[in-house]
Parts: sequence; C-alpha cells; structure tokens
Amino acid sequence: MIPGWMKQTEQYAPPRDGGAFAIRTLRAMGGVLARIRVQRGRDGLGIPPVAKLLLLLAGLVTLALAQNRLLLLAIAALVLGYLCLLPARTLWAVLRPALGAALLTLLLFLPAMYIRPAGAGNNWVVIGKVFLSVTMVSLFNQRTQWNRITAALRKLRVPGIFVFVLDLTLKYIVLLGGLIVDLLTARGLRAVGRDRHKYRSVGGVLGVTLLRASELSRETWEAMVCRGFTDDYKGL
Amino acid sequence: MHIPENYLSPVSCAVMGAAMIPVWVHAVKKTDRELPKEKLPLLGAGAAFSFLAMMFNVPLVGGTTGHAVGGTLIALLFGPNAACLAVSVALLLQAVIFGDGGVLAFGANCFNMAFVLPYVGYGVYRLLLGKQNGRTSDARPYGASLGTSDARPYEGGTGGIRPYVAAFIGSYVGLNLAALCCAVEFGIQPMLFKDAAGNALYCPYDLGVAIPAMMIPHLAVAGFVEAVFTVAVFALVRKTAPDLSYERMLADAPEAGKKKKYIPVFALIAVLIAACPLGLLATGTAWGEWGADEIAEIVTDGKALGYTPSGLESGWSLDVPMPDYALEGMNETLAYILSAVIGVALLIIIFKLISIPMKGRRNPS
Repeated sequence: MIPGWMKQTEQYAPPRDGGAFAIRTLRAMGGVLARIRVQRGRDGLGIPPVAKLLLLLAGLVTLALAQNRLLLLAIAALVLGYLCLLPARTLWAVLRPALGAALLTLLLFLPAMYIRPAGAGNNWVVIGKVFLSVTMVSLFNQRTQWNRITAALRKLRVPGIFVFVLDLTLKYIVLLGGLIVDLLTARGLRAVGRDRHKYRSVGGVLGVTLLRASELSRETWEAMVCRGFTDDYKGL
Repeated sequence: MHIPENYLSPVSCAVMGAAMIPVWVHAVKKTDRELPKEKLPLLGAGAAFSFLAMMFNVPLVGGTTGHAVGGTLIALLFGPNAACLAVSVALLLQAVIFGDGGVLAFGANCFNMAFVLPYVGYGVYRLLLGKQNGRTSDARPYGASLGTSDARPYEGGTGGIRPYVAAFIGSYVGLNLAALCCAVEFGIQPMLFKDAAGNALYCPYDLGVAIPAMMIPHLAVAGFVEAVFTVAVFALVRKTAPDLSYERMLADAPEAGKKKKYIPVFALIAVLIAACPLGLLATGTAWGEWGADEIAEIVTDGKALGYTPSGLESGWSLDVPMPDYALEGMNETLAYILSAVIGVALLIIIFKLISIPMKGRRNPS
C-alpha cells in the first residue's frame, strides 16, 4: 500500500541563485581540461615536429611583418586552402579559437575605426592577421601530439628544466582539473537552496587544489627517484 | 592582459622577448640552486595552478575581461624565480593550445605577467613585512616544530593579519604594475609604427587611450580580484600546510640568510625595469615633436622590412590611393586568383561546418 504523500508530484524549484560566475568559471575550466585530455592530435603531413614548429614560427613572423596586402592574401589562401582539406570536426576545433580571437579584436578595434575612419583599412588588416595567426597556431596544435612538441623543444636546446615543467604541467592540469570538477560537484550536491558563501568556497576549492598539487608533486618526485632520475630530462 | 598576436609590432615582440631571456636564465639558474630537488615537480604543479587561476575570468567594464594571474601567490609559495618559470609555462600552454595570447607576443606577455607581476608582488610583500619577518624566519625551526595544527606557526609573537595585508597589497600592486606595462606596450605602438598616412599599423590606441582603458578596470576590479584570490588561497595554505612556503624553503636551504639581503635590491631593480617603458614614453612624445620628416623616416625604417621582399620602393603606403591602385593594376591577375582560392576554401569550410549538426542527427555517435 503506497501512502498518499508518495503519490503526490512535488513542485520544488530551487531559488534563483545570482552571481554564480565564480562557480561557472570553474565549471568552464573543467570543460577546457576535457579538451586537453582529448587532444590526440593526429600527425598531419608527416613532417617532423621540429620542422613544423619552425614552419609555424616562420609563418607567424612573416604574417606579422607583412604589410603587402598581396602577400597577406597569399598567406590567407594557403592557410584556408589547407584548412578546407580537413575533416569537419577538426575544422571546427581549429576555427573556434580563431573566430573568437578575431571577434574580440573586432570589438576592441571598432571604436578606433569610428574615431579614425582613415585607419580602418589597417585595423582590418590587423583583425585578419589575428585570425590567421590563431588559425595557424591551433592548426599546429591539432595536428601535432603534445609530447612531440616538447621533444621538438628539447631538440631546439630549450633548457631541460623548462621542458620538464612543461610536460608535467600539462599532466597536472588534467589531474587537478578533474579534482576541481569533483570538488565542485560535491559542493553543488551539498549546497541546497541559496548559497551565500560562494566566494568563500572558491578559495577553498582552489586552496585544496593547491595542496593536492603539492602532494602530487611529492609523489611524482618519489616515483622519479625510484626510476633512477639523474637530473637530465630528455622529453617523454 | 594576454596580448594577442599582431597587436604589437614584431619589433616590439622581439625587444620584449630579448628582455625576457636574461630573466629566464636567471630564474632557471636560481631555481636550480634554491629549490630542493624533490620540489622540482612542484614547479609543474605551480604552473598548472597558475594556468587554472588564469582561466578565472571576471567581466569588467568596457567589454574587456580581467583574470587573476596568481603570480604573486605562486611567488609567495615557491619563490619569485619559480613563479617566473611557472607562469611562463602556463602562458606558453595558453598561447599554443588555446590561442590565448600570441606566440610572437609571448615575450611581452611573459614580461608583464611572469616577470613584473611575481617579482614586484613578492618584493612589495617582503618590504611590507620588513625586518620583523626576517627575525621570525630565523626562528622558523621552532615554529615548525609546533606542527601543522598551529594556526600561525611563523609569526611568533607578531600579529597574524600582517602577512595577509602584505600579500593583499603586494598582489594588488603587482597586478596593476603589470597592467601598466601592458598598457604602455600597447600605447607606444601607434607612436612608433604607422604608415605614411599616419594610420596605426598595429594596435590603434595611443597611450592616452590605452593607459586609462587598461588601468581603470584593473585598479578598480581586477586588482582586487587578484588580491582577494591571493589572500584566500594563501590563508588556507598557511593554515593547513605551513610547510608549503617559500620562506620555509629558504630557511631550509643552507645559505638562506645570505639570500635575504638581496631581495629588496631585487624589488628595486624590478620596479626600475618596470618603469623603463615610462622613460620610453617620455622620449616617445619627444619624437612626436621632432616634426613630420623624422617621423616619416622612422616609419619607413620600420616598414622597410615588410617591403623589401616585394621589391617596392620604401615610403610606399597602403592607404594612399594612388600607389594602392597601381598595386592593384600590377598584380590584378594574381590577386584575383588568390581571392578565388580564398573564396572556394571559405565555401568548403562553411559547408563542412554546416554538416556537423546534420551528421550528428543521423549518426548519434
């Protein structure tokens, strides 16, 4: 026999909780971390990563220096031409940051264009250059595995400690990001109704993350010593 | 505060990058000596933490966003040199993986956020704590022996709020000085790099616009975001894990006492270097008063790099109608072909993007 109160449909709508941008930022963080985790980066073109890295740098410098619009047009044709050969999903992953950056630049430059219409042509060139630069960088990032990038940096004589930190950082970002998402989920499940101490919990979440980071780093060091680390880092 | 690609001229980027090289070398050497080897992975952890802190975006007035950088915090916990490396790594990852901040502008971004911010923040913190803390830090083994349950193991007899106030002011000043450097870098672009018609080639806002646009939101909001962020995490760490502190690390290091003497000097140098762009500012306006000829000269000098490959005469400008038409006339076919390639590529890209949701409907995987 089911009691009557169990059959009733409950109407509970949690009160609107304004100003939760801090929590939302942290959640967005979790999304970004997921993006790093899935970053597989199939190697495109079969060019060695060092060459790709140098090519990217050369491309960026050329683009930044170029004032000749024909040259800019040629670079645009080259980049977009390569871009249109990519599968649709990779394409979107490459274009999203580039479009975001270009849009932000457009918003920032609009007042300048309004104040000084004569300079608008140059401003458009800058916007186009921002778009192409970010496209090139994210193209490189999409088509190259991260550990190959760090190996390439090591070959270019970047100090070992820097490359080592770079490699570790990426791994820690994923681990700590997972921790942040977990902490926030736990906090969200426990906080019912209106929460007046959001900002306090932000300090707590990040503080705990930092403590966990130091714990992780100690464990990493112990693991390194156990595996015979000799102060020389050659890349993963 | 992340400067994107092409806001700064390549020359400025090169100058800022060159300015960062000695800082990095110094930081790597110093960290190597100072940081106990077992704390090495902590640098990666610090960088990861800094990366996460920088994603903490707060909407500001004027359509911009500010974020805590956490540079001062990391300097307080791991030392300014380690903070410099950690923030640099975080910035590099942001530039390469997320397109947040330019790859060429990496040097400039590092100068502002990985050099000025942590060193100034830490320097101000040390100055505010003064000698008092130096004395208590010598007595650190005693404080440490009290164990982690003690709420403030470092202060000895002094007030507990002082380090937090120092951390608050330090991070506030550090962030604002970094923002000022950033504004100056933006602001000198239109003075130094314009075409013959006087139109800016890179960032179009001069110092009069860039400094208020950067400083007002940072002074009013972002500085406080950074300071509150720093103090909140710093307080939690001091309470729960007092071992995790740069002062503690220095106290454990064999030549700790010797090092402390240099820190105020260091802060002074950092402030002086940060003030350097201000000197440039003064000379910049002086340049402006020289007259049009010299400016034209400087401008053509700056542009010569861009033009030599095309074999055009220097002094030619994009926005002067006549040569522009001439160019169009000369390379009309080439421009036409390139435009066609771009148009076709754009169409393919757009259709591929449109196809994403359609595919998703047909094939739920």
